[in-house]
Amino acid sequence: MIGYTLRRLLQVVFTLFALTVLVFVLLKLMPGDPAVVMAGIGAQLETIEGIREELGLNRPWPVQYWRFISGLFSGRLQAMTYHKPVYLVIAQRLPATIELGLFGLIIALAVSIPAGLLSAIYRNSLLDYTVTTVALMGISIPVFWFALMLMLVFGVILGILPVSGRGDSIALFGWQWLRVSFVTWDGFRHLIIPSVALASVQMAMNARLTRASMLEVLREEYVNTARAKGLKERIVLIKHAFRNALAPVVTNVGIQVGTLIAGAVLTETTTAWPGVGRLMVEALQRQDQAVVFGLAIFMAFFFQISYVIVDLMYAYIDPRITYD
Amino acid sequence: MKRVGLILTLGLLVFGSLAFAQTPVPETPGANVGGDLVIGVSQTFKDMDPRIMNSAYDAYVMNVVYDGLIILHPETLAPAPWIAKSWDILSDSQVRFYLNEGIKFHNGEDLTAEDVAFTFNWIADEANNSPNLTELIWVEEVIIVDDYTVDVITKPEYAPFAPGFGSETQSIVPMDYVLEVGDAAFNLEPVGSGPFKFVEWLPGEHIKVERNEDYWLVYPNLDSITYRPIPELSVMMLELESGGVDIVDNMPAADVPRFMEMDDVVVQQVGSLSYFHMYFNLQSPISSDIRFRKACYMSVEMEDAVFSIFQNLTGVKSYGCIPPALWANDQEYLRDNVYLEENDEEAQRLFAELRAEGILPEGYTVRIHTPLDPRRRQLATIMATSLIENGVDAEVIPLDWGPLLDLAYRSESDPVGDFEMMWMGWSGGPDPHDFAFYLFHSDNATVGSADNMSWTQIPEVDDLLDKAATTLDQAEREGYYVEAQRLIFSNYSAIPGYHYVETRGVRARVQGYTISPLGSMWMVTPYHNVWVN
Repeated sequence: MIGYTLRRLLQVVFTLFALTVLVFVLLKLMPGDPAVVMAGIGAQLETIEGIREELGLNRPWPVQYWRFISGLFSGRLQAMTYHKPVYLVIAQRLPATIELGLFGLIIALAVSIPAGLLSAIYRNSLLDYTVTTVALMGISIPVFWFALMLMLVFGVILGILPVSGRGDSIALFGWQWLRVSFVTWDGFRHLIIPSVALASVQMAMNARLTRASMLEVLREEYVNTARAKGLKERIVLIKHAFRNALAPVVTNVGIQVGTLIAGAVLTETTTAWPGVGRLMVEALQRQDQAVVFGLAIFMAFFFQISYVIVDLMYAYIDPRITYD
Repeated sequence: MKRVGLILTLGLLVFGSLAFAQTPVPETPGANVGGDLVIGVSQTFKDMDPRIMNSAYDAYVMNVVYDGLIILHPETLAPAPWIAKSWDILSDSQVRFYLNEGIKFHNGEDLTAEDVAFTFNWIADEANNSPNLTELIWVEEVIIVDDYTVDVITKPEYAPFAPGFGSETQSIVPMDYVLEVGDAAFNLEPVGSGPFKFVEWLPGEHIKVERNEDYWLVYPNLDSITYRPIPELSVMMLELESGGVDIVDNMPAADVPRFMEMDDVVVQQVGSLSYFHMYFNLQSPISSDIRFRKACYMSVEMEDAVFSIFQNLTGVKSYGCIPPALWANDQEYLRDNVYLEENDEEAQRLFAELRAEGILPEGYTVRIHTPLDPRRRQLATIMATSLIENGVDAEVIPLDWGPLLDLAYRSESDPVGDFEMMWMGWSGGPDPHDFAFYLFHSDNATVGSADNMSWTQIPEVDDLLDKAATTLDQAEREGYYVEAQRLIFSNYSAIPGYHYVETRGVRARVQGYTISPLGSMWMVTPYHNVWVN
């Protein structure tokens, strides 16, 4: 088990290294010159040249790559347009994304697993149809549209929730970059619409997956055996069926955790949420190659780690799976 | 689009008549003191140091944290006193500014001539790579005369100009503080002398400022202001409707009629100092032929196209590059004599002629580039469709800002520019020079940073624009601009598109706020002191 974990982590390191090269080359191949964008229209030629020089954009690629990679790990890599180190630019946006992601995940799981479970147990009932229909809608409706509707209904028509943005937050341990908002009433209210919008897709997917997986397990012989033994139906369902039905759901959730952190671009942009997803869009628009590079590597790292954790969790959920 | 314009040519007469004036104090009888104002901003903030700031959105915060040497009068746009209580023109190349005494920065230090000289000299110093260098390109040096007097010396080729200094990018920064904390730190935690003090900047979330209790000009009515970047315009409109924000800096045309009918929202509009056009690449072998340019022009009814997109609400048709809000715009003449109406027959005839001569190769696809902005994309699509209907293949290529500028600026490896047409916008200060000179003078057709992206090079036009730029008499200058514009647009270097109408939604509880053609977000100035009911 330990050997396996180490091997996986080593893989992560290699993948990440390959990624840094790939991301860097893509950034350099991307059309557009950061210095031109930074200098703005109407800038003097000398100004553009000066900015190029300042940012080291006129150096050979390998030199630039080394600057990026060594700077990223030593924390010295400066953002091109944010006037601070890249790690700080990302760190300032990260708490908002994690907060939103966790709330979205909690809402998604709290609704989807019971819903999927019940619709599997009461198959072909009205409840089942309702769950599958709503879930289908959840998958099909674009997040930004759903978020807009939530804003319109709860923010404008009913006027009970703030429309967008992040509310009051407090800095933990006196670190200005580490701010949490759900602990304040205002912050909590601001969190509701974005996290429900973010949860909508996950919710729908998980509900359908739980249902399908549960139905499959219920057909297994050991479930019949359990029933034949005279066990209570609830024990059969929860202890024998549900636990075994969970493996695919956990895989999916694991992938979703990565997506929640890295891929909340749409939700964050629509709801004016100050997280890393929006930072990515912003940095790309500004052609801030340093921040884009740092963020891409960070997101990739996050994905990789969540996959490793999912793999390890299999062994816990399904005792038949062992790693050696 | 150029964001903060050049405010160069504000004539001697205007400046002269204001000598020995005093800085006016805004009067707001019956105003309510207190309250927080929330402003919705369409983009996230970048820089808080006015010397390097080049975004219209950052400028909103500059408007309240800093003071300018002078201000442009909200209605006449004439220069008026602010930090400088008056000024004298000493010679053809020297202007003397007399500063108000007793102005303090937020850190308690006095604002003196030293700070003014430092601010301008820093921007004008090429070594600092300020994007705002262009705006002070005419400044040779700013010299300290005494604690409260500075002289601005202009470069010889700009001799007769009296400087403007009315842009947010020329706000005065505290020299000692900047030198102490360094440029990067100053940019993140700005200190100015303005009516509001910087409180916090949570990236992507908001910038908060609070009343400067010791503001020298007047006691600011508002307690605090929160600036919230909201990237989605539709969400910003919901915020305005729900009262989540008090002012929005932008409003789509489709929403204007709805908000106009609402009791608790006031829609404020003003013609902005902007110009959008579809220019031709005069270096391309195809579009360098005037017949091609005219044929494209005649393939579409541009008046209808612009109207269909803006309904005369957030944009009006333009006929020349100088906005109707400015003198010398000559729009009427250009509309009656230069504008080409749709004439498909003639267009097809010209295209056939070009084909026969081999100038327009058979099966060639004409490329129309545009920024991602939906309005320009729609206009580009209308043009492409019309060309296709007239038998010329055309495609619209929307590009992100970076790649688009790369193409427009040309490069050593591609000095010609591999395209035929491009939609582009421009905004400037309150002088025709800012439009005609930058967009069409051959000095500005330089590889690597071109404002004259069409590469228009007409010696007579250059001559007229040079004369206009070195003459003080406005009536005489008007003559030069009128003639220059007629030459430029009869050459069909560009198809004029529209002038943007600045549109802001303001909750009814906000009092004393006025929209500015300069795009500023003034809160407390010699002419404003906004409050909330």
